Amino acid sequence: MATNVATAGGEVQVTNLVNYTLVKLHIGMGLLFFIIIGFMGFFYSLQLDGIYPFPGIEFLSPGRVRMIHTAGAAYGFLVNMFTGLLYWAVPRFTGYKVFDEKYLGGFMFIGLQAAVLISVVAILFFGQADNVEWGETPWWIDPVIVAWLLLHAVQFGTPILKASQKAPLYVSGWYISAMLVWTPLVVFMGNFIPRFWSAGSGAGAVQSTFIHDLVGLYVTPVAWGLMYYFVPVIMKKPMWSHGLSLLGFWGLAFFYPMNGVHHFLWSPIPMFAQYSAVFATVAIEFAVTSVLINFMMTLRGSAEVLKYNVPLRYMYTGAIFYWITCFQCAFHVTLTFQKVIHFTDWVTGHAHLIMFGTFGMWVLGMAEYVWPRLFGKETMYSKGMSEGAYWLLTIGVIAMFVDLTAAGLVEGFDWIGLNPWIDSVNFAKPFWYFRSVAGIMMLTGLLMYAMNFYKTATAGKGLEAQLRESA
Amino acid sequence: MGKMERFPFVVLVAGLGFFLFADFVSWALPMFVLKDIPMKKVSDLAAEAKAKNTSAWADFERIAAYYPEQFKKYYGEVNEESFAKALKIGHHWYVAEGCWNCHSQMIRPVSNETLRFGIPGVSNTVSYPSEYQNELQAPVLWGTKRIGPDLIREAAVHNIDWQVAHLYNPQSTSPGSNMPGYPWYFEKDSKGNLVPNERGIGMLTYIMWLGSWEVKPTKEWALK
Repeated sequence: MATNVATAGGEVQVTNLVNYTLVKLHIGMGLLFFIIIGFMGFFYSLQLDGIYPFPGIEFLSPGRVRMIHTAGAAYGFLVNMFTGLLYWAVPRFTGYKVFDEKYLGGFMFIGLQAAVLISVVAILFFGQADNVEWGETPWWIDPVIVAWLLLHAVQFGTPILKASQKAPLYVSGWYISAMLVWTPLVVFMGNFIPRFWSAGSGAGAVQSTFIHDLVGLYVTPVAWGLMYYFVPVIMKKPMWSHGLSLLGFWGLAFFYPMNGVHHFLWSPIPMFAQYSAVFATVAIEFAVTSVLINFMMTLRGSAEVLKYNVPLRYMYTGAIFYWITCFQCAFHVTLTFQKVIHFTDWVTGHAHLIMFGTFGMWVLGMAEYVWPRLFGKETMYSKGMSEGAYWLLTIGVIAMFVDLTAAGLVEGFDWIGLNPWIDSVNFAKPFWYFRSVAGIMMLTGLLMYAMNFYKTATAGKGLEAQLRESA
Repeated sequence: MGKMERFPFVVLVAGLGFFLFADFVSWALPMFVLKDIPMKKVSDLAAEAKAKNTSAWADFERIAAYYPEQFKKYYGEVNEESFAKALKIGHHWYVAEGCWNCHSQMIRPVSNETLRFGIPGVSNTVSYPSEYQNELQAPVLWGTKRIGPDLIREAAVHNIDWQVAHLYNPQSTSPGSNMPGYPWYFEKDSKGNLVPNERGIGMLTYIMWLGSWEVKPTKEWALK
């Protein structure tokens, strides 16, 4: 199908700008992995409740399952989802196709799934894991992931570079082009330097930088890049302020990479590195707030769209969670708060609010916007399932966040009080039970969401949008 | 402003420049500060344990005496090589089993942690850089979450018998614990007794090694 696309370089005619198959495949696999890692996390939470369903089975040992939960979230779920959405968004905002769809695109798709499945098998069955959080993939698979990320940089860098030669890039282009460079560097740094070139505190400094940079320099920029594309497209109006977009991007780019060491405060890492991380983390809050102001002011005057547009509602819910997480971070990153909350469930709650509540919600919203269009339909199969999934996921993640935050305070003060260790376990148990219940809500929402996807893809013709009656 | 919004500027300044600057501050500089601490290989750790006759070395001898059949089968004699081998195997499975998901290996100078995890009456020190500067802490095993207690001073907290029972069935020694059991670290010997296998002996050696360098004065073990 040929379409006329207006780019900054003038109107150009393009044929089949977006490869629908690749978008479908990546989003489908991403959703599948999301459900799998959701169950993995749920099983692990049952171990904390003392009712693990598979005790004594070596390959389903909770410690191994937990590594699938975290590493799978990074490589199986998020990378798949983001890659699928990039295949949709990048050609559209640049006006150029990706580097190569058939061979490179197909190879990248198969390569990613193979790398994830090999890692899963290696961790569960062969005891090949790595003690880098979020980099639990065995060290010998990491060169494959770095190579994959370089191909990914070529694939999406090409259209962005072409567009950039004609005119200044749109905001999404800045975030995504920086991310294309950062990600392979981050994965290389985090998995090889602490293993082969350093140890101990030096390795700890690198590892903490990696934990944070995989979130801050892969997930965050690609997600904001996509937000800057999808939100104006759905609302059919431009972002409120270009200046704030610039401020947000350059603030993130400068301060985010320095945040890492805040994961190991009060550790044997030299204090100057710890202080710089705390300082940079508080600074990033200002950049985040500028981005949020920009998005909220864009919404101004069209907030009623949120009532009936579920994808946009996912995006704004995630954006609010993002701001809550970063606001919370600006406080609990200080050395004072760390005395209490480090090592507790507070941190787990924080991680779930950002990974599930923000990035999970965003990709679900974006995927729900894209999915019917990929199959030539106007709406999702069921409005009810769409709404139901949204509310289950939102309430579930809020419940989990509040619950784990409270649990973290209970544990932290209990530890300071020098009570017997088992007390902190017993005190935390009610919170852990409740967390499992919140997990059930989130999983139900996810399954409902996936069912809606399946029905939309397989439904015959007839999913047509109804015009709302004008008031 | 136009240049700032082009691919090469974003990639060079934000992508490479800021990233390298941040990494310089966050880990290259700390690594430079720490560079004079000697890096120890596993063989160095074994030699040190033997030379100083630390509690880890005594515990290794004790494991050999408790489970002679399995020890001989998998590790041979008590010497530096077999100790190094056991440490490596133990560390490998400590990582592979995800023990570090719930057990940290770092004592902070705050929140009464030295009182809780330090060695009572022996060593109340916080974690310090040189005790991590070895091959078994690459990548470092500090961990970010505690469900169970910290393990970096474990050598003086519990003995082998406790560790064996705990590894097989944690609830037997710690009622109410939600740690899973690890029966696959055990096998039957020729008399039909359940004893640690190769991985089990490695795990026990590794756990009893944690913090053994802080147990002072070296325990006298009458084991003959």
